[in-house]
Amino acid sequence: MQRYSRASRILGCAIALPLIGSLLASCSAGAGPDSTAENAKPVAGGTLVYASGDAEPSCLDPHVGGNYPQALVASQYLESLFTKDADGKIIPWLAESTDVSEDGLTRTITLRDGISFTDGTKLTAEAIKANIEHLKDPNTASSTGYLAVGKVVDIEIVDELTAKLTLSSPDNALLESLSMPWTAIESPKALERDQATNCASPVGTGPFKVESWEHQKAVNLVRNDDYVLPVGDTARADDKAYLDGITWRFIPEAATRYAALQSGEVDVIDNAQPDTIATATNDNSLGHLDAPRPGASNRIELNSSKAPFDDQRVREAFIRSVDANSGISALYFGTAQRSYSLLSSVEPLGYTDESLFGTDAAKANELLDEAGWTERDAEGYRVKDGKRLSLDFPVSTNQSVPAEQSLFEQFQAQAKAVGFEVKIQLLDLSSWYGALAKHEYDLVSAPYTKVGPSVLRILYHSNSTVPAPSGYFANNAQVKNEKLDGILAEAEQTNDEALRASLYEQAQKLVLEGYYVLPLYDQQNHFLYGKNVHGVGATTAVSSPIYYDTFITE
Amino acid sequence: MSRTAKILSIAFIALWALIALAPSVLAPGDPLAVNPAEAFQAPGTTHFFGTDESGRDIYTRVIHGARDSLAIGLAATALGMGLAIVLGTVAALSPRWLDEIILRVLEALYAIPSLLMALLIIAFTGPGVGPAIVAVGLSTAPGYARLVRSQIRTLKSSEMLEAATVLGRGTWLRVRNHLVPNALKPLLALVTLGIGQAVIWAAALSFLGLGTPPPAPEWGAMLSAGRTYLHLAWWMSLFPGLAIVFVAAGATLIGRALGGKARTT
Amino acid sequence: MGTIAWAGRKIGGALVVLWLVATAIFIAIRLIPGDPAEAIMGGPGSQASAEALAAARAEYGLDRPLIAQYLMYLGKLATCDFGTSYSLKQPVIGIMGEVLPNTLWLALLALAAAWVLSLCFAAQAMRANRVGAWVGNIVEIIAAAVPHFWLGAVLIMFFSSMLGWLPAVDNGTTQGLVLPVLTLALPLAGFLTQLMRDSLSYAMSSQFALAARARGESRLAVFWRHGLRHAALPALGLTGWAFSSLLSGAVVVEAVFARPGLGRSLLSAVLARDIPMVTGIALFSALVYIVVMAITEGLERAIDPAGASS
Repeated sequence: MQRYSRASRILGCAIALPLIGSLLASCSAGAGPDSTAENAKPVAGGTLVYASGDAEPSCLDPHVGGNYPQALVASQYLESLFTKDADGKIIPWLAESTDVSEDGLTRTITLRDGISFTDGTKLTAEAIKANIEHLKDPNTASSTGYLAVGKVVDIEIVDELTAKLTLSSPDNALLESLSMPWTAIESPKALERDQATNCASPVGTGPFKVESWEHQKAVNLVRNDDYVLPVGDTARADDKAYLDGITWRFIPEAATRYAALQSGEVDVIDNAQPDTIATATNDNSLGHLDAPRPGASNRIELNSSKAPFDDQRVREAFIRSVDANSGISALYFGTAQRSYSLLSSVEPLGYTDESLFGTDAAKANELLDEAGWTERDAEGYRVKDGKRLSLDFPVSTNQSVPAEQSLFEQFQAQAKAVGFEVKIQLLDLSSWYGALAKHEYDLVSAPYTKVGPSVLRILYHSNSTVPAPSGYFANNAQVKNEKLDGILAEAEQTNDEALRASLYEQAQKLVLEGYYVLPLYDQQNHFLYGKNVHGVGATTAVSSPIYYDTFITE
Repeated sequence: MSRTAKILSIAFIALWALIALAPSVLAPGDPLAVNPAEAFQAPGTTHFFGTDESGRDIYTRVIHGARDSLAIGLAATALGMGLAIVLGTVAALSPRWLDEIILRVLEALYAIPSLLMALLIIAFTGPGVGPAIVAVGLSTAPGYARLVRSQIRTLKSSEMLEAATVLGRGTWLRVRNHLVPNALKPLLALVTLGIGQAVIWAAALSFLGLGTPPPAPEWGAMLSAGRTYLHLAWWMSLFPGLAIVFVAAGATLIGRALGGKARTT
Repeated sequence: MGTIAWAGRKIGGALVVLWLVATAIFIAIRLIPGDPAEAIMGGPGSQASAEALAAARAEYGLDRPLIAQYLMYLGKLATCDFGTSYSLKQPVIGIMGEVLPNTLWLALLALAAAWVLSLCFAAQAMRANRVGAWVGNIVEIIAAAVPHFWLGAVLIMFFSSMLGWLPAVDNGTTQGLVLPVLTLALPLAGFLTQLMRDSLSYAMSSQFALAARARGESRLAVFWRHGLRHAALPALGLTGWAFSSLLSGAVVVEAVFARPGLGRSLLSAVLARDIPMVTGIALFSALVYIVVMAITEGLERAIDPAGASS
């Protein structure tokens, strides 16, 4: 009898404790070790364990599809023709030099000599041709890369290391497009394999290579011992990475991911939650890399193609009725700064105008009265001609973190005070795309990562309202402005840097002043890493970290 | 059931009925009023249960959330039981071949994991209170149906035998009015357990992002939102969780008291 | 009836059930909005051209009439060809084979743990101490009322972050199994105990038990030898359901603890409208359920061959 009662008492205890624990909980990330780390000397060896909060990609080849989780992992084993330097300028990487003809229709690219893929194939102009053709091939089902090389119509091999690309119209964004992981260069021999095999282990020139992929467990990367660093000089004897390998895991639950980092089970995590970042940086227990993604900022777009947002006054009224700043500071713990620009803060050509976005409920009410929404129904929402002022807001649980979902809920409550009914629908990714394709939205937040201001054409040119066969279109705000179209087309074709900057500024002004968009903040891209991890900071042009300089100390 | 038990049960049910039907009596505030400046406040005198990430008062949200959560729990269980009674009774009292068919159908429904069924239903209908009720109800029905069927069969073999030998026609009605209710009494305890389970199911659906749309203060959705901030603001998770446990526990105890009465007859 | 006839009936019934499940899934998936061809071509928002989509439809037979698709589907299943996953582009059987053992192992351990816990709770209830019994009662009810995702998060916070005793995520060791198994087992244990309670108190107050007590046997001995058998039967009968519900719980637990498994595959398959994966997993779960049911029915016959207790 004693045995059982003791056992059950212990068990009883074991159950009560966690419940009590939640009462006594006080987060302590733990007093971290001193930061003597900065002066640590690089040491070779060790395997980095990385835990991503994104969904496991269905294909490790970023040519297929083309989303950010793919870019994050592929940045370790694939390289692009161009990249961004520390000042944000586009520089050649796998390419050595590049030239464009007077009329802008022919772009010549010369590769560096002496670089090989991990399957032994030498990097030649054949690779450029094979890769671009792979991107344009419908069987590859590329989304992002396909759009990026949209203007390339022909590739001619001039000599072993030189290729000539013929364009349908001048494209001064081509180099930026070729700096992204989604247009990275893979071995032509590897590309000839069937897609399932290439998806499981793409072959590139990067500092690491794919050894194996255990579904739902991890992608195992090992060091590429024949790696050649295209640009620059390292203090190393050879060009090899310090790490023996990287174990790339997927832990979708934020709390679990952070707990694993704290206990040392993983070394680096992404998609760090704002409050954990604030705690970690405050008590210096973990390292923090803040790398906002390029392209568009995180913003809410208003569907101007149908009522009620076909009226600019109603659009402005909505934007003025919500208070983004107090919500952002409460929910993001200082890790996200309010943005008043269409473009990410890492884009040098971003234009910003804070004066357009001041919260002003009185003005909002005035505008709505002006627009004819003068009556109110029993629940306090505005009514016009018998129709309620109702807005559909599909929110993708994949794209919007909990803090952002809460921010939208705050907007919902604030807009209600002015008379808007905002209906938030939390949807999975497929259903979300479905709702957008069917135009069942008035508000939407759809991030878009791309290098360079040419993203503005993708998002705001009227051609982008024409859906792809899958129903997808990128111009969610449904901006159809001839003048804007002209500006955007010209901006992409001119060779004059000053003119380009001025045209893009005009374009952004047009969109911002039309109140098509409510900018919120940069696309958040925060990484936290353990104190024994050093040399973190180098990123690709799309702000995905590369672990070439990284090493682990004990 | 003893007098104290009776009084406690009635008080319990009355309390929750009041909360569900007239929440403003106990919580006059607005459950949807956001106030970012007061986010993440610990429980205190102004906010009994603290505030959430948007500064909303959790006490008010828990009280107002009773309606959605209880509605899902009760309606889903009612739907499930209703279906179960119909299917189970028909199966128990019908000829062999029909019984076999229905049994197979029940087994097939039973064999599909309930979460998968719920996922498929909600993928089809979209998230919301109604779909949550249908999803949870349909997935729990087969289990209850089997129990109803076996209960009736046991009773049927004993009563029918007796009745058939003693009386002539007209037994059927008496058997039906007497048989079915008696078969169901022992299931009462299960039903009350089921109400708690249904509320938890709805919470799981919210966790997977398929629950009631915001800003509805449904307990499951609050639990799900609270777990992101568990180490920072434990009160966001504790109080909705306590509400769920309180309802489930109370329902179970009441059911047990009722079931206990049946056993003595 | 003879064992062979019994087995034959069971197998026949099983096939009917599997067919019904396959049909139900076929219909259910087709009702969900979303173009399967899109799912094949790399998910929503794809830039696939109209020709590519048409080609995908032809290859997977999606442009044929529904009846033809249904018959093709049944035909393939009969030969155990579950097809290729739309999103992962690999054979469904292969992927399932990779992740299946993890979930099965987790579910079995959780079932065993739930039973052990449940028996301990039930034994606890046998104490003469009223307060102890009441506390046990409350603990069971709370255990059964706690959602998996919440329990998992609290356990991680407590045992991983604060105490550092156990790892938060799967690292291949037995330690990594403790928290997930506990998360799955506790609510089930609470539920099972409550089920056993009624039969248990009934059995313990029956003539047989009282007589044994009068003979001088301790409460515990009577519990083990007599009460348990009666109490366990209804709980045992629900083992099939319990296993199936553990598979459901695994979806949540695998997500919270980042464990590879069938549950996670199922969730992402439904979200990606990956018809072959969903079908494969659903049919497999049905099969498992049927097998477990057969085993428990066999056990029931062994424990209580006369079928005397209801």
